[in-house]
Order: sequence, then structure tokens, then C-alpha cells
Amino acid sequence: MIPRFILAVLLAVVMVVVGITSFIYLGTRTSKVAVPAQKPTVVAPRAQALVLPGTLYIAQSGAIYSLSAGRFHQRSAEAGYSQPSLMPDGSLLVVKMSGYFSDVYVLSRFGTPLRQLTNNKYRFGMADPSLNHWSFYPRVSPDGGTLWMTYDGLKCDGCYDVSPAIYSMPLGGNIRQARAWTNGGYYSGGDQQPIPVAGGVIYTKYDYASSYDANQPNKLVGMLWFTNRAGAYGRELTSPGEDCRSPALSPAGNMIAMVCTYQKQESFLTIASWNGSSMGPRQNIVTDQLAAQPTWAPDGSGIAFLAPGVADGPFQLWWLPKEAYTPAPAPPPPTPTPGGPHNGPLPSPKPPPPAPPVKPIEVTTNSGFDATSPMAWLG
Amino acid sequence: MSAMAGGIAYFVPAAQLAIESTGQVLRVTPSPSDTSAPTASPSAAAAPTPGAFTVLLLGSDDDSKFSSDHVLTQSMILVRIVPSTKQVTMLSIPRDLWVPLSTGGSGKVDGAYSYGGAGAAVATVEQNFRVHVDDYIWIGLLGLVKLIDAIGGIDVVTSNPVLDDYYPADIYGNSPYGYERVAVLGGPQHLDGLHAMQYVRSRHGDLQSDLGRSQRQQQVLIAIRQKAKQLSAEDLPGIAQALGGELKTSMSLTKVAQLLPVASSFDNLDAINQIILATPYTHGCGCPETYINGNWGLILPLVHQYFP
Repeated sequence: MIPRFILAVLLAVVMVVVGITSFIYLGTRTSKVAVPAQKPTVVAPRAQALVLPGTLYIAQSGAIYSLSAGRFHQRSAEAGYSQPSLMPDGSLLVVKMSGYFSDVYVLSRFGTPLRQLTNNKYRFGMADPSLNHWSFYPRVSPDGGTLWMTYDGLKCDGCYDVSPAIYSMPLGGNIRQARAWTNGGYYSGGDQQPIPVAGGVIYTKYDYASSYDANQPNKLVGMLWFTNRAGAYGRELTSPGEDCRSPALSPAGNMIAMVCTYQKQESFLTIASWNGSSMGPRQNIVTDQLAAQPTWAPDGSGIAFLAPGVADGPFQLWWLPKEAYTPAPAPPPPTPTPGGPHNGPLPSPKPPPPAPPVKPIEVTTNSGFDATSPMAWLG
Repeated sequence: MSAMAGGIAYFVPAAQLAIESTGQVLRVTPSPSDTSAPTASPSAAAAPTPGAFTVLLLGSDDDSKFSSDHVLTQSMILVRIVPSTKQVTMLSIPRDLWVPLSTGGSGKVDGAYSYGGAGAAVATVEQNFRVHVDDYIWIGLLGLVKLIDAIGGIDVVTSNPVLDDYYPADIYGNSPYGYERVAVLGGPQHLDGLHAMQYVRSRHGDLQSDLGRSQRQQQVLIAIRQKAKQLSAEDLPGIAQALGGELKTSMSLTKVAQLLPVASSFDNLDAINQIILATPYTHGCGCPETYINGNWGLILPLVHQYFP
């Protein structure tokens, strides 16, 4: 017979174990909404063996990653890097955020810092933080000679306006050589995301919708604009009601992808033709996701974009094959039945079964990419 | 019994927060001199909607610049919820609106809380806007940051880049009176608590100043509600720990429990009316350190249309 004392101790131990187990069990039943995003290198793209062409550069938590042959590689330290774009030689232009300022750097395609192209830190102490500058969204001209960027070079005295505008400067030159192409607006968020094109530059202008259309609310919106020379007023490519931003030019230069939010908490992936001076009708190709940063594949096979993997979650990488937004070729006309002339109406051909709709494919599932950072795609 | 004890221990932080934060006594004191307060439009009277209630949301910068509970309410949002029709209306009250205060005299509406706590803030809003406020919820700035981090961040389409060269460095900076530069870029993005706070708090770079900020605050509130729908009961202790001391409400625990299923049943974001008292409802530059005046002849009919 077990002594009563030992029985009591055993019972107490069981009670403690059951109590702790139930405590731990409840802890495992949390919703996982706050699980931190993982580095993309931790988990490869999904098991569908999706391999995107070329090398895609993408930013997360201040580091640049590359995706090639279905595998991610971390190309830089988590040191405030984002907004990669390509140089003609395959190296990368990036922005490095450093507290009160940001600068443009050149990284090798393997992530090694090569050059610092701007120096936006105020050099004479930190008395007034507004004396520092921001550089965002760097791009280089196709010939590699001109750096384009968003830059808050115009400082107003005695006001609070921060007015980033589109600037160009010789690559490797001094900021004093920089030229303002736009005026950056007034208390609006300014002009952002320059895309140098033949004959000018496309960019996103943030401004009050009511300034363009009396029927629009007094609300800040994004619009794609185009200007063909420094200092010219430029003109709207999209309307205030469409509320578009993040332009991306197709490899052939005849299509523009963008995101349009229609002044709501939604974001459509939209494409339109581009003839060098104006845009054609819009085609909304993704309408049920919070799409950001569309980027054309260099071989024209589709568009990558960022969007949450689950509702209200961190942004993942998605891939939309070309077939999703390009109409299928028309079926060939019916051929006459062999065996001589046919009198009377031809039999109507049986229509082919409709092709299943092509949906976006989720490439990553548990990353947390920077949705304000464009991606760069090397062919 | 031991399993139950383990469960109770697990939910202790949530229970502690519930006991400490809910059921705050709301003493609404009428203004001693209420002569300049506007009067409601007589045609606005409407039959009360069963189950409908109005909550005043208050957000404060509760950093070391202020003694505890004598803080300004940088954010004041009246929310009316009609469970039967699943309608929500949010009206942002400009913090710089010059009004008669319930504690006496006149001042910016954001000062009412600092003079007399939540009761004075509620009374000031009730008297000036001619609405009945059933309850209030107050949250500190750091509480907002921690809440958003505890729910894993939120997805927001930021309407424009929010760039501020004189953003208060009072949360994590060395000096509560210092400034820092912040940049929250435009477009769809996933915001953590710190950047969400920068987005809703910055106003120097916005021509509409506090009015523009009010629009952003409403965006973030809706995003928090959307994210909160994914939470389970087991998440509550973690959130309670994050919010410790940064949340107060006059709602009873029972009422909070009744509200949770109601909140999760609201799916249609288009059914949320978002009201900002911009021109012509208010006038004045709205610049920092100044005040704006209300056009009460327009404000009151609007308020009584949505807050009958």
C-alpha cells in the first residue's frame, strides 16, 4: 500500500504538471498574427518550384535580397538599404536611410558598397534636423550618365513644408550640379518615383485632388505625371480620382504598370499602354489584393508585385504571368470539310472550352518585404 | 481543477487589464458658464435607435512633458455604432477647435482632458456638439505603438508621403522637447507601431494640419479593427501586457464582452461614415500653435444627422 504522504506528493506533482501544460497549451493557441516576418533566405519560394527569370532584387528590413533560380540570397547587411534599381552594368543603386537623412549608394550586384553618390547629412552639427536632406527612388538614365531621384532640395525658410521634387544630376557629380525638374508641390508629399523615359520623365505627383477637379474632395492623392524638360509644368497622365502611383515601364517601353487606389484603402494593379507621351485605357489586372510596387519581368513574361499573403499581414512576393492580362489569340477560322464544294451554311464550329483564369501566384509566404521599396529586375 | 488554475493564470494579465482599465468612473460636469455654446437645430431631433451608442475615443501624448493624467488629447474621435444596421460613424474633432470648456472658460478642445480628465473631455464634447456620449476610451501614444505591434502591424494605404522635419522626439528620444525628421512614404504598406504612430501623429507637413491628421487617424483605426478580427481569446494576455497602463475606458467589463461579437460582425468598410470637420465647418489656418473656429450653424446639423 502506497503511503498517504507519497500519494499526496504525486497528486501535487500531477496537478502542477497539468496546470503548466494547460498554460502552455493556451499559449500555443494564439492567432499568430504577431509572428515576426522571416528573412526570405530562411524559406525558399513555395514548393511549386516557381522559378522567375533573371535576378530580382527586393528589400526587407533594411537589407537587399536577390532571388534567382528559385533561391533567395541576402546581398547586404540590414543597414537601412532599400529601393534598389539597376545600373547599366548590373550594379545596384540603392537608398540608405540613416535616421534624419538618406543617401544614394552604388552596390555591386553581390551587395558590396562601391560608392556613395549623395551626402545629405548636415555637416555642421545637429542643431536643426531640417537641414538634412532626403534622397529617394534613385534611377539612372539608360546611358548611365545621369542620376534621377526624389530630393528635398528646396527648403522654405520659416515654414514646415518638406517638398521633395524630381532632380537629375550627373552620376558621380556634386549635388550643386543637380537640376530640379519639378517644383515638388506645397505641403503635399511632393513628387516621387522618377522613371526616366525617352523625351522626359514619368513620376508620381502627390497633390490635393480639389486643385484639379472642383468635384473632387480636398484630399491628397497620387497622380502619374510626365514632364519633358526641367522646369516645365508637366502634365497629368492619370486623374486625381484614380489616385495612382508607383509607375513601372515595361521592357519594351510601351506599357506602364502602376497601382491605383481610387482614394480608398484598396489598391488595384493597373496597366496601360504608353506611346511616349500619353497613356491608353487602363486595365485593372489585380483587383482583390493590396497590390504594391509592380515590376515587369525583363523578358516580358509577367509582372511581379508585392501584396499581403494573408489579410492585413506583411507583404509577400507575388507573380502574375503574362497570360493573365494578355488576351488569348483568337481561334483559327473553321476549315472547309474536304470532299468537294459545300452548299449551304457551314457548320458552326464548336467553341473551345474557356481557358481557366490565370491567377497571381504567391512566391513567398512568411516574409515581410518593404512595400514602399520598388524592386529591380536584372534579365 | 489544476487545468483550470493554469488557464486562470494564463489569463491573469488580461483580467488585470480588464479590472484596471474598464469601468472608470465617468463624472460629467456641466459647464459653469455655457452661454456661448451653440444650440442644436430643432429639426434634427430623431427617434432613438435601439442599441445604438456613442463612444468618445481619446488619444494622448502621455510622455514626460506632462504629469500623468494632465495630458492633452491629440486625437478626439466620436464614434457612433448602430448594431442593428451595422453602421459606424466616425467624426474627428479638430484638436485645435476653440470651444467653451466644461471646466470653465474657453480653450482648445484638446485641453479639456488636461484640466478635468475624461469627464471634462466628455462634458466639453457633449455641450458643444449637443450629443450624448455613452462611454469613452482613452489610449496613450505608447499604448498605440504597443497595441499595433502586439497585433503584428497593420496594412494601410498611406494617401501621401508624410514628411515632417519637426516631429516630436518625445517617445524614444532623449529630450521630450526635441524634434526629429520622419518620413513615411506613400502607398500600400505594412506599418509597425512606431511608423503607424508617425503616420497618425505628424502634422507639420500637412497643409490641412490637424484635419489631415484626423483622416489618417481614422484610416489607422479602421486598419486596427480589421486586424483585430483575426485575434483569438488566447491573444488577449499578450495584448493586455502590451497595453498595461496605457488604456482606460468607462465601459464595464460586461459591456466590453457584449461589444466584441458586435465589432467582429462589421464587415463592410464602405458602411463606415468618416467625417472630418474641414472647411466650411471650421475656419482658421489650423497651423501648429494656433486655433480654429467652428461654424456651428453647419456643424450641429451635420452632427445631429449622424449622432441623433
